[in-house]
Amino acid sequence: MANYFNTLPLREQLNQLGIAEFMASSEFADGVGALKGKKIVIVGCGAQGLNQGLNLRDSGLDVSYALRKEAIEQKRDSWKNATDNNFTVGTYDELIPTADLVINLTPDKQHTAVIGAVMPLMKEGATLSYSHGFNIVEEGMVIRPDLTVIMVAPKCPGSEVRAEFLRGFGVPTLIAVHPENDPQGKGWAEAKAYCVGTGGHRAGVLKSSFVAEVKSDLMGEQTILCGLLQTGSILSFDKMLEKGIDAGYASKLVQYGVEVITEALKHGGVSGMMDRLSNPAKVKAYEVSEELKDIMRPLFQKHQDDIMSGEFSKTMMEDWANGDANLLKWRAETGETAFEKTPAGDVQISEQEYFDNYLLMVAFVRAGVELAFETMVEAGIKPESAYYESLHETPLIANTIARKKLFEMNRVISDTAEYGCYLFDQACKPLLADFMKTVDTDLVGKNFNEGKDGTVDNIKLVQINEVLREHPVEIVGKRLRQAMTAMKAIKTI
Amino acid sequence: MSAHFDITNLSVSYGNQHVLRDLNWHTQAGQHIVLAGKSGSGKTTLAKAIAGLIPYQGSIRTHSSDRTADSDTTTVHYVPNWYQFTNLEGERNFYYQQRYNRHQGQDTVTVKRDLVDFTNRETLHFGDLEQRITSFGMTHLMGSQLIELSSGEHKKLQLVKSLSRRPDLLIVDQPYTGLDRESRATLHAWFNELAAEGVQLLLISNDSELPACINTYVEIKHGQVHLVPRVQDIQLDATRRRKPIPEFLKASPADSFDTIAKLQDIHVRYGEKVVLDQVNWVIKPGEKWLLQGPNGSGKSTLLSLINGDHPQSYGLQVELFDCPRGSGESIWDIKEKIGMISPEMLWYFDQTATVWHTVASGFYDSIGWFTDVKFEEKKKIDELLAFFDLEIEKNKLLHTLPLGKQRLAMLARSIIKNPPLLVLDEPCQGLDAIQTQYFNDVVDELCAFGKTLIYVGHYESRLPNCIEKRLTLKNGRVVTIENRVENVEI
Repeated sequence: MANYFNTLPLREQLNQLGIAEFMASSEFADGVGALKGKKIVIVGCGAQGLNQGLNLRDSGLDVSYALRKEAIEQKRDSWKNATDNNFTVGTYDELIPTADLVINLTPDKQHTAVIGAVMPLMKEGATLSYSHGFNIVEEGMVIRPDLTVIMVAPKCPGSEVRAEFLRGFGVPTLIAVHPENDPQGKGWAEAKAYCVGTGGHRAGVLKSSFVAEVKSDLMGEQTILCGLLQTGSILSFDKMLEKGIDAGYASKLVQYGVEVITEALKHGGVSGMMDRLSNPAKVKAYEVSEELKDIMRPLFQKHQDDIMSGEFSKTMMEDWANGDANLLKWRAETGETAFEKTPAGDVQISEQEYFDNYLLMVAFVRAGVELAFETMVEAGIKPESAYYESLHETPLIANTIARKKLFEMNRVISDTAEYGCYLFDQACKPLLADFMKTVDTDLVGKNFNEGKDGTVDNIKLVQINEVLREHPVEIVGKRLRQAMTAMKAIKTI
Repeated sequence: MSAHFDITNLSVSYGNQHVLRDLNWHTQAGQHIVLAGKSGSGKTTLAKAIAGLIPYQGSIRTHSSDRTADSDTTTVHYVPNWYQFTNLEGERNFYYQQRYNRHQGQDTVTVKRDLVDFTNRETLHFGDLEQRITSFGMTHLMGSQLIELSSGEHKKLQLVKSLSRRPDLLIVDQPYTGLDRESRATLHAWFNELAAEGVQLLLISNDSELPACINTYVEIKHGQVHLVPRVQDIQLDATRRRKPIPEFLKASPADSFDTIAKLQDIHVRYGEKVVLDQVNWVIKPGEKWLLQGPNGSGKSTLLSLINGDHPQSYGLQVELFDCPRGSGESIWDIKEKIGMISPEMLWYFDQTATVWHTVASGFYDSIGWFTDVKFEEKKKIDELLAFFDLEIEKNKLLHTLPLGKQRLAMLARSIIKNPPLLVLDEPCQGLDAIQTQYFNDVVDELCAFGKTLIYVGHYESRLPNCIEKRLTLKNGRVVTIENRVENVEI
């Protein structure tokens, strides 16, 4: 199998990368109509598989689950998830031939094997759905020409997909149709109906392509979302210990700080997050983040280049073939860091204190979000796609760190994200070594405002505010967030 | 051991609204108090101030006779009226009806684990708690996960834990909320025991049925406390001036159905735990049902089958509004025909919703408000807000209102679309006798126009008059189906 993207002429590469259209709610007036009475079979019953299936069935659609024979015989969790909720469960052989729509919600790494087993069983003219395009775009899986291939990707963990649906709302969702596989022209109608069935149409839907989704998703997850949060967290913790800050306090500040800080990002964008700081602190965070952007820009560009050329996926698939040797080694190393091993102290930290005493992370987040966004857009990805894969997902990942630190974050995210995260982290730390020597506890561990009188230069502040608010990620973000009016606050503490 | 407290010039305000002003109150050892008052009079605020949970002006000193008279060593424990458990990852982000959705990875701890952790943390004896669990009839729940418990069972677990701590002063906010009759008696006995051991009790309740140890009745009014001789002397909310019911609610249901709900041979189980067993229930249009049963008997689960909220209903013989479950209907098709209230729905309701948004959300059956409503619908919202005297509060956040008003707003939400079926699951929890009377009178009036009603209530004396049939559950089985509940004594 050859990398699909690399087989395309440049014209078509740019065309597919550039598909990003925020859809009007009138496009969903048909509801679930296109799938009504059709037989939907979901492969895989983990968090996404189960919760999407519950929503689709509650929308009046016919849903059952195809699991591997061993999963059924051994009554594994996926089998329990499906049967405990009174779904019909069967083997691939039993259910796939009856399906009008097969939804593949297994982990990325299993896609080649799963599709290899499922495709020959699918009936003529049926539809196959993915929630991530890696298998099609990077691995180059070629799907039988009579089949329609669509993508519906809710941009939230499975539990949120269910919770938001039940309260009558939904989560932002990305949909796509693979241009090589739409023989009957029904792809968009079915993708939209599926999206309505999960409630996604109420929270904003982005019309995308398999290519745009993969290239932006890979970039976001390995740089700002996972890579930078990991690097920033570990460097911050080590710095505090070096400067004599109580280890328990440092651990708690780092574990929960990133969630509190990015909650402000979620509701008000980068400028909303920066506005949580005092004026002098904002000026400082601005200056620090500018410096960080200059230092890290070449690394962000390298990641984007390797993603576009297919170099990244090639290296990672080699590691897959090698029994995940690198991945497992790096995972174990993450589990051994001082931050991971120091439990959060039993200290009270107020919401505002997370901003005032963790200015360094505010600067990291601003630098990372803007850099990821800028680099993606320079590479031909549209601002809407870039927004989803940078700013929008940052609070979701931050939440996994708050739950159980970095080891947990890396366990929860996809293997692809985890692999890219380690690559970034290893390159980024040496890059920041000189910068970190200049960092003291006023930036991390203690209140930046302490002992300062709050004076700032008017003109400087006005200029900084202007730069922050007029960044393209803020312009597109403001528009997209309007569709997500009812976003719920995530709170771990 | 015995304890008491002294309050001097206590003031508490939220923004520029004074809740308590220069309040003075001196208690004596041996006084066991019930604190009552109208909705919004400041009962919970006063309790939280005494427990040191909110900032206040003035002085509050608690004393214990066998310790040095110093508030630092006297222990005060406040038990809120609702307890939110967390999952294994410390998250509280549970959603309404989540307990019916089964997912392997998303676990909460078991009741036993929770109790063991609690006793270790508080250095208590596990045996004491185990005994209370037995007295509350919850032994069979030790292996259940917290998320599987009903709201009444959660209340009991919270009481078991709180009462085992034996502080000098124990403050319990609405201790009887959602408890069945047997559990109330058990709780009375526990309060009497604690009082005899010297724990000073301060119960916040508008109930007239109180444990024997209570010897002091205090009413809070205009930010001040007043001692009254008997519980009956506490002034409750004045009887409301009856207003004419809005015209749009007098319309009979637009669609006619043969049956509202038909449940045949219903079984619901979680792993080994049987929640409903061989349940049969047919509800015909216009019938007014009372659904009763002890805590944990399966009432809310049964209602969730009717309300479209239970994933297991797909494999069962459930027919709603003449349509078998799983025949292409969505849960929104079902919900638009039902006006629903339950304690859980209120606890999990959108924290950012105003009263107006809460009522408006009834048109879309959403937990929170996401879609603008039409002109005609706005008119109905205004009419209903006026009917329930909620106009002044319409722009306030729902969860900041006194409980009584929150319940009225939720009732308004449930009837705004004039649905053929009303499902009111313990709608009067936390309301006093007069508020309950008012609420039930409104229900009677609403139901006079052909609506079907399912009502859940533990107290015989506090039911709407229109009720004509009763289904009683016990341990997930139907015990009786009767055709007229005995006379309602008021």
